[in-house]
Amino acid sequence: MVLETILYLIAYPPLWQVLILGFVGALLVAMVAIWFERKAAARVQRRIGPYWASPRLGGFMIIVADMIRYVTQQVIIPTTVDKIAFLLTPVAVLVVTILPLAFIPLSPHELYWPVASMEYSLLIALALTTLPPLLTVVLGWASSNKFSVIGSLRESYVITAYELVAVLAILAPAASTLSFNIVYIVEAQQPVKWLAILNPLAFLAAFLAVLMSTSAFPFEIPESEHEVVAGPYTEYSGILYALNMGGGYIRRFIYAIIIALVFLGGWAPYTPGLDPFTGFIIPSLIVLVKASIVVLVMSFLRAVYGRYRLDQALDAAWRLALPLALLGLGWSIILAYMNLI
Amino acid sequence: MPARVSLKSLKRRGGLFEGIKSNIQALAVGVKYFIDPQRSTLLYPKEYIEHRPGYRGFIVFIKDKCISCAACARICPSAAMKMVRVTEVDPKHPDKPRQKQYPVINYQRCIFCGYCVDICPTEALYHTPFQDVVYESLADMFLTLEAFQLEPGRPSVSEGSPVVYEVDEERGLIKRRR
Repeated sequence: MVLETILYLIAYPPLWQVLILGFVGALLVAMVAIWFERKAAARVQRRIGPYWASPRLGGFMIIVADMIRYVTQQVIIPTTVDKIAFLLTPVAVLVVTILPLAFIPLSPHELYWPVASMEYSLLIALALTTLPPLLTVVLGWASSNKFSVIGSLRESYVITAYELVAVLAILAPAASTLSFNIVYIVEAQQPVKWLAILNPLAFLAAFLAVLMSTSAFPFEIPESEHEVVAGPYTEYSGILYALNMGGGYIRRFIYAIIIALVFLGGWAPYTPGLDPFTGFIIPSLIVLVKASIVVLVMSFLRAVYGRYRLDQALDAAWRLALPLALLGLGWSIILAYMNLI
Repeated sequence: MPARVSLKSLKRRGGLFEGIKSNIQALAVGVKYFIDPQRSTLLYPKEYIEHRPGYRGFIVFIKDKCISCAACARICPSAAMKMVRVTEVDPKHPDKPRQKQYPVINYQRCIFCGYCVDICPTEALYHTPFQDVVYESLADMFLTLEAFQLEPGRPSVSEGSPVVYEVDEERGLIKRRR
């Protein structure tokens, strides 16, 4: 009885989905992704990577140590910055980054949705994921530093090119299932009719676009260390910098959740029950695991690819990724026409 | 007047098929190394390299053989070795103290070239077969005349296991445990 009440309390959607999965889960996934990125790159490059911080955990504690360092560092506010925008935008970025999670269903039952209707959930979630880069431009401008402005400019170039590709490619499932409802899209993919298998072009385009637009590591064109010091985040230090840096990982994680739902079948091989444990917590954990795998594969690419210049990245966006996304969209229309899904 | 920028564009090599193929090849190499890593990092205090006997490591000084010619200090290319003047008891005239010069070494500067050992006319300097330049402070790296005459300790030997580096035909430089 008591256990059941606690379970119902935990499965209260705003608590479980936005606070526990959103903040804590995203933080954990970001930490694991950073650790895995360093460790995988080290393995491929014949090094060891983080080790001495905790040899038994493979050096995972170095991430915790880094976080403690960021939290306890002095926050320097230069005199030339626009103070309100400078201080508030990193926090706003984090909040806006988590926000799409409120419009993503992680369970087929209406009881466990954070909002009442999921009819246009894919559109709303996608629209909300495109907000944080605008705030990145704002904070680069507020820093009033030449590197920040150049970094913001690069960010705006990259997002104009790749957000378009991401939105087009992630909307392809909506075209093939004739619905913007994520629950309907996931249920259409039961049990293994996953859209990543049926429509690999759109999946590849979405993967590429997310990798580029969230500036995953070899493609961190806006904040590239070798060219512009830290891009839009040059003037930031301490916890504000950590918020900015973590924001990118959390944004990638949110995108990965959307990709896991619409392309990788969400909770697909599993049919959720009705009670909070089998109906909400297990499906959401399945989605979390799939999203983490997407994030880790993205992190692994750091070890393989080299850096792209801005013009090369934009060239690849307009000449390669956009046609790929359009082809994927066309392919999903064909899928819908032939009643394959 | 702003500088005129001219963009240089290279002709694309290969077509779409070539691009897909090379990307897949790169990913395959990455996955191969990820599954079977061929690491060559030396985990320092837990492992140490066993060098061959003629290795030019730390330099040890034998005071009794030294004739104070200062050839070692003069040949030193990085000016790591210096002569110090010490007052000591003359064995022939015990009642009369004499002044003599002896070399001391600074491991902040030493490049372990071994010229001082080669040039010493009385073989008063010799190499140890190891070179663990690990000190707690920079000041410890200046050896005094007394410390220069002792063989330096090697903390990694007491803690770690020996390894050797070998060149493999296929895998390149590899580390192997003894």
